Amino acid sequence: MLAMPADAKLSHTAAMILQAIHAGQIYGFSVMQMTGLPSGTVYPAMRRLERDGLIASKWEQQSIADAEQRPPRKYYRLTRTGRATLEAAYERYPLLEKMIPSPEAERA
Amino acid sequence: MRRGRVDSALARINVRAASLLVPRSGRANWTAEWTAELHHLCHAAGDDLAGSPDSDLVQFSLGAYPDAFWICCHHLRSDGLARLGSGSALRCGLFLVAGVLAALLICLAESGARDALLPPPYRDSGDLVLISSDGYNGTQKPSTAFADYEEWTNDTANLFTQIAFYRPAVKGIHIAHYDDARLVVAQASDNLLQLLGLHVAGAAASAAKGEPRLLLSHSVWSALYQSNPGIVGQSVDIDGRTVAIAGILPDADWRLPGRIDAVLLESPSDLAALSTRARGFVIARIRKSAFPPPHGGWRKMVEARYGVEYAFDCISVAHLLGQPSIVFLFALLLACLALPATTAIPLGDYPRRHDHLPAAVNARRWGFLFVKFALVIILVDLCSTALAYGLYAHNPVNAIYVQIVAAFPGLLFGFRWTLQDQRRRCPECLRRLSNPARVGQASCNFLSWNGTELFCMRGHGLLHIPELPTSWFSTQRWLCLDPSWRGLFAESCAPSPGAV
Repeated sequence: MLAMPADAKLSHTAAMILQAIHAGQIYGFSVMQMTGLPSGTVYPAMRRLERDGLIASKWEQQSIADAEQRPPRKYYRLTRTGRATLEAAYERYPLLEKMIPSPEAERA
Repeated sequence: MRRGRVDSALARINVRAASLLVPRSGRANWTAEWTAELHHLCHAAGDDLAGSPDSDLVQFSLGAYPDAFWICCHHLRSDGLARLGSGSALRCGLFLVAGVLAALLICLAESGARDALLPPPYRDSGDLVLISSDGYNGTQKPSTAFADYEEWTNDTANLFTQIAFYRPAVKGIHIAHYDDARLVVAQASDNLLQLLGLHVAGAAASAAKGEPRLLLSHSVWSALYQSNPGIVGQSVDIDGRTVAIAGILPDADWRLPGRIDAVLLESPSDLAALSTRARGFVIARIRKSAFPPPHGGWRKMVEARYGVEYAFDCISVAHLLGQPSIVFLFALLLACLALPATTAIPLGDYPRRHDHLPAAVNARRWGFLFVKFALVIILVDLCSTALAYGLYAHNPVNAIYVQIVAAFPGLLFGFRWTLQDQRRRCPECLRRLSNPARVGQASCNFLSWNGTELFCMRGHGLLHIPELPTSWFSTQRWLCLDPSWRGLFAESCAPSPGAV
């Protein structure tokens, strides 16, 4: 996996996806719903972010999925580098936090 | 409800189809993620998602294609670079293919080499023969007297269906006021084109005028008339005779002996003005019933005339034009005979146990060797043809010598390199072995093993090459290592241990 420097410039789409994951939308489909982007954009963008080390994926526990009688889903979370990159992206895209408010911003 | 089922099935088909783009190693994971997302979407569709534009299952599943395509491209970029690493079989193969393509481009750019590679442009060239006086077969020198041609025209109807004559000679052509040029014009019987099966546009139309018809070669047409199409049909003076320009003959269409700039087609009465001793070339189309197979190649004919026997050579035009191939095959035969005298043929000892070298691995190793041999042969053939016929396009006799001198050492060194390269490759991943280490010295441990060891960077095994071949260790030997050793080697974590 390649590590991306925290001050690297993100595209607006990538920044929106990072912000959506930061806001708690941890599945691909929920990121789509939150950002309004189509699946053909969201999933490849998430692969790129994962390759660059900004997000990490993990499979849901099989027991949880079995209990709900559905296949396990893959969920995503921000890495430390991803969080730092997102913080840097707020300066470039000031409206990002207002478009997709994070839990911390909502609490504040 | 029914539409929902159809959509669901279509969406699953889309995901399955897109998964084919994903590399096999990550396909199950990728399919599981998309299937889970589809399942979630299907079951959530009845709730709050029904109205949203993205709730369309099929539309959602179409996103699987760009996702799979991105993964495929990413995999190709990363894995492709690893496969093209130094010493890989793919790199070696691409290097040879690039050489073949470069040689092919050179051949196509050189008109002489291009003509040597292409098949004869004449109709049924296997039935065409060039008749020459005894001992002159296949030469570029006109050897048949016009009187003989006239005699054969009347007497050989049982042997040949058609017979034609041409005689290259330098003639002056008047182009414009105070503008003359000297050209090599082939004075030919008017059935020459028909006999060869060549169709030149306009040649038949101008036949009605009764004037001799002149066919300019394309290069002369370009040089003297600046490719002016209006010249066809006009009359010009050749050595004081008025002839009609009947058409343009493509340069590649003239493959017969003798370099010419134009062909002058004359009626039998005009051609009869030639001296009976004038020498030229005679082309004939054989009557198959009179010539027992094989029709190609060379044969001697003896004719009795007024109690005197005359011998003539008949050589097939296809055989004459196929000489580059015959010469190359001869050089190939010589190289195959000389190879065992210059290098060892065995590739070394490899274990025969199936668990170490499975049949597929062995087949790939042999396939790689044969592909290398084939590419070397093609490369040398193209290079020698380009060299010989690029230098001596109009002198096939010299070209043959140049070709054989170029092809023989090229093939010999190419075969030597192929065998040596194969011996220094891992039989499993076909990468070049590295890190040679010398073990022991013959002067110190005479009866112990001494030689050089090389190993595969992916941990497939070690190659032992004896310094002094002995009765118990005469040739290089490959030692397979089982997968437990792989952790020690630098490239053992490569994704596909058996990948080429």
